[in-house]
Amino acid sequence: MIEVRELRKHFGAVTAVDGVSFTARDGAVTGLLGPNGAGKTTTIRMIGTLVAIESGSVAIDGHDCTRDAQAARAATGLLTDARGLYTRMTARENIRYYADLRGVAAERFGATLARLAEWLDMGEILDRRVDGFSQGERMKVAIARALIHEPANVILDEPTNGLDVMTTRALRELIKRLRSEGRCVLFSSHIMQEVAALCDEIVIVAHGKVSAQGSAEQLLAQSGKSTLEDAFVALAGIEGEHGEKL
Amino acid sequence: MWRTVRIVWKKELTDHLRDRRTAAMIFLLSVAMGPLMLVGLTYFVSNIEEKADKKEFYLLGQEYAPQLVNFLQRQDVKLKLPAGDFRELIKSGKHDPVLVIPKDFTQKFLEGRAEVEMIYDDTRSDGGNVSINAMRRQLSAFNAEVGAQRLVARGVSPLLMRAVDINETNLGTVAQKAAMLLFIIPMMALVVGVTGCTAVAIDMTAGERERGSLEPLLMNPVTREALVLGKWLAVTCYGLAVVGLILLGFFLTLTFAPMPKLAALVSLSPAQYAGFAVTLASFAPAIGSLQMLIAIYGRTFKEAQTYVSYLVMLVAMVPSITMFAQLKDATWQLFVPMLAQQMVMTRILRGETVGMLHYALPLAINLAVMAVAVVLISQLLKKERIIFARS
Repeated sequence: MIEVRELRKHFGAVTAVDGVSFTARDGAVTGLLGPNGAGKTTTIRMIGTLVAIESGSVAIDGHDCTRDAQAARAATGLLTDARGLYTRMTARENIRYYADLRGVAAERFGATLARLAEWLDMGEILDRRVDGFSQGERMKVAIARALIHEPANVILDEPTNGLDVMTTRALRELIKRLRSEGRCVLFSSHIMQEVAALCDEIVIVAHGKVSAQGSAEQLLAQSGKSTLEDAFVALAGIEGEHGEKL
Repeated sequence: MWRTVRIVWKKELTDHLRDRRTAAMIFLLSVAMGPLMLVGLTYFVSNIEEKADKKEFYLLGQEYAPQLVNFLQRQDVKLKLPAGDFRELIKSGKHDPVLVIPKDFTQKFLEGRAEVEMIYDDTRSDGGNVSINAMRRQLSAFNAEVGAQRLVARGVSPLLMRAVDINETNLGTVAQKAAMLLFIIPMMALVVGVTGCTAVAIDMTAGERERGSLEPLLMNPVTREALVLGKWLAVTCYGLAVVGLILLGFFLTLTFAPMPKLAALVSLSPAQYAGFAVTLASFAPAIGSLQMLIAIYGRTFKEAQTYVSYLVMLVAMVPSITMFAQLKDATWQLFVPMLAQQMVMTRILRGETVGMLHYALPLAINLAVMAVAVVLISQLLKKERIIFARS
């Protein structure tokens, strides 16, 4: 479970995150939805302990992200928008490196990797060097790397960016499996359909603030609109012509 | 903590060992370059010595100066006729100096105002100057002899011509002369020690940023210090390997190169190799750590390379500074990395005393440099502008 309370962050004169609060439950998929520049990535980086929290707090399974950062990190699998791999190493070695750093025992590593490889359909590429992998293949390795320690909390920052249809489908299936295993999944996106199709809870972020949150039905009711797209535009407070292409 | 250090260290070692281009560069630089220069320099030196010993003059108009020819032949000088277009050839560096004797030499010689013309090109530094000096020496000797004879004929002691007798005593030992030739060894070893682990140091820092692998790496539940220590240990291993390779390269050259001249000039004792190894062993990793520290500011490999090249230039300038400034060995130099290594290695080469202080002080400085670098890099890895600023 990820609990975010009154999170704030400035970069110079710019207020990137301005009092964001929400809770991502276990066994549910929570979507952070908002246009580019709304503060989603900064929020996720603070949850991931990569950016210092200015005020407010984040707790992951009860571990405070500031005071007990190591425990919070250990309980989390994070896929940021930086998905760099070591190109001279094979996919397996890349994943193995993180498993070692996280203290995953050898037998558990083998079993978990086999399962992830099956889910992500990446069995063939496991022992090839990453150099020359396609975008989709790299993405699969990065996801497996983030999940190799079977974290109770999974955070994915814009995971479908630049992915082809097949990889996107595989990723969607993976997210559903993680939910059915009772994990807490938090992912950010600016793509309406993706969020609508997957999320139990939607948190709409605009201008660094949470402008609305709830299930898809609740958001529709709240906005008084008939489609989610209209509801999103209304709730995010975006002007039609300047808004994201949804 | 130490488990993490070991994991990072192992990963960086295997990762970079697979980088063939870098490995080839390091190998070429450290193993091949130094010995090649050493052999080249030996060849150059022996070539000069040969020319100095070689008594061969090109003489045009031998028939006009029987007195001079007679003198030169008595000095065992072999006289040769120059090529027809020798002026052109000298200009293009393909002909040794030529002595031209005019037709009226004998007549003027008897009148006491004979002239000869020496034709050479002193802009060439390939040993031609040596031939010029040899020719001058012989002509001076001829002048002295004829002059003495003329004085004696007039009843004057030739000793009056010499106000001072010069007795030369050269205190330079053979080892010191060899050291002058061998300055190339510390120089090459230091340069390679500096450049040897540059690529690895940059790839581990700026490379992580450029690839976008730094952010996920830092998400692992390990301390920054452990990550940096692991990387530092890997750079240190590369530094030590490079040092080992350089010394091995020199050892193989000095032992097996088919150059008797080289063997006669230089032979390093095991103690000297050990002294070099000790001096370089802490130097290469210290420079590697500094390069990591500088490179972490680079968002890309190329950017970091530019920053690091300033350090490399600075370090590479040190030997020439000591040469031009004519620095005498002094204890304060032991506090300055590079200067210290240069001084200690030169002392080892020249067979001068090298005490504990010469080893301990630079070692302490290098260890301090490494510690500071590791701490600073760990701090920088907590900064958002380092973690996220990617190009």
